[in-house]
Amino acid sequence: MHFAPLPYLDPGSGSFLIQLLIAALLGLGVAVRASWGTIKKWFGAKPKADEEDDEPESK
Amino acid sequence: MTNQNQNSGQAQRGQLAASFRDPSGFLFSQGGVLYRQVNRSYAQEYAHLMESGLYERLVKAGLLIPHVEVDELPGDYESAYEIIQPERVSFISYPYEWSFGQLKDAALATLSIQRRALKAGMSLKDASAYNIQFVRGKATLIDTLSFEVYKEGQPWVAYRQFCQHFLAPLALMALRDVRLNQLLRVYIDGVPLDLASELLPFKTRFNFGLLTNIHLHASAQKRYAGTDVKARAGTMSKQALTGLIDSLSSAIRKLNWNPGGTEWGNYYDITNYSEAAFGHKKELVREWSARAKPALVWDLGANTGVFSRAAGETGAYVVSSDIDPAAVEQNYRQMKGEKSENILPLLLDLTNPSPSIGWANQERDSFGARGPADMVLALALVHHLAISNNVPLPQLADFFAKLGKWLVIEFVPKSDSQVQKLLVSREDIFPNYTREGFESAFKQRFKICEAVNVHESERVLYLMEGH
Repeated sequence: MHFAPLPYLDPGSGSFLIQLLIAALLGLGVAVRASWGTIKKWFGAKPKADEEDDEPESK
Repeated sequence: MTNQNQNSGQAQRGQLAASFRDPSGFLFSQGGVLYRQVNRSYAQEYAHLMESGLYERLVKAGLLIPHVEVDELPGDYESAYEIIQPERVSFISYPYEWSFGQLKDAALATLSIQRRALKAGMSLKDASAYNIQFVRGKATLIDTLSFEVYKEGQPWVAYRQFCQHFLAPLALMALRDVRLNQLLRVYIDGVPLDLASELLPFKTRFNFGLLTNIHLHASAQKRYAGTDVKARAGTMSKQALTGLIDSLSSAIRKLNWNPGGTEWGNYYDITNYSEAAFGHKKELVREWSARAKPALVWDLGANTGVFSRAAGETGAYVVSSDIDPAAVEQNYRQMKGEKSENILPLLLDLTNPSPSIGWANQERDSFGARGPADMVLALALVHHLAISNNVPLPQLADFFAKLGKWLVIEFVPKSDSQVQKLLVSREDIFPNYTREGFESAFKQRFKICEAVNVHESERVLYLMEGH
């Protein structure tokens, strides 16, 4: 492990890639949750109303 | 227009040192009024902000500083698309001076702004904690030029900055030690993620938000440093981007820190003076504040801000500072509960106040440079500075004289049990620490207008006016 600063290396590339990774993981979560709703519907559960679209005001 | 011309024009109009980095425009002051120039290169973005309704919605929600467009202003404005005059912020404070709750609210405000911006087809190009200030008690974005038009597919350019300025310090404060916010004083662009990753407890690797946004983020930075990934990495949908913002928001909301168990957390339970003395002090502060009519008060050593509120009753804006993170946090929570608009709790060590930092030591002002105040409160403070910190009384008088015109100061004599506690572990090398010695030192710099013995105590409260 080195602790020297890396003046020519831009950490931006890693920050870019990790966003795509997180987005993919979150997308996976959304997909699972969405299909979970469908599965429940097959068994006769009523679909929930859409969740509040607008976020609460910041406090 | 060449850079040189532009720079000379900016210098003439007193460009502020903190805004040199932004190609979209800059702050300048003229005739004591603060303006922001919107450069021609930023015209499209500025127009989108104003015309999409985003500006209005953000201002209405208290998330963005309001401004007016200035029609006529003398000078040379070849590079200018518009000159705006933002509402003046009563006191500029910095993230290393905020309590946990203040930094958390600033983080959530930033995400809330980004979410609203995305809905309006824009995106924040900066997520700097320095762009947030407390205005009327609320975390508010003060950089009107922080928005860019959102292009479908692009990731969030300010993502890394958000993690460094907000998520990393908040996680360190909540899960390691609240004092680690002081890292922000060293690292002006936020806590480096590899450092945060090393300092955070191992268990944070099992927290999705911190695992991805800090630990994996830090590893990816190292692994891919210098590689050109943009060409082959694909794009990010708007939905994915919104998901990322929501996940950051939920990671931030889960971080909590509660005051208690620190130095002064329950200070008012362990003081040695009676309710009568306390009430008398409050009454005097109220009365003298009404007499001096200050616009800006600095309450130094404010604890949870009881006397700040007494001073603020006359309408003054009160910066209520203390060295203890727990007291500042309690003060902030109380302020939010009361919906006060004129109290700013602030974390400050008077024996080592915030220095000026950044490029050429000019980006962020020292505490003293953000003054002077109209009135300074120094209640139950002098014995800490004079005895615990060994500052000679004449130097204390000089220090206070620089900070403000009016001074409300409490002298706590040696016979006081709190002072006796301070003297238990040190030799008494303070022969001049007497009421007479105190008055003669302060008379060099101030006129003593009032000196009142506080009821049921040995303490004396003074109202002084600087020469």
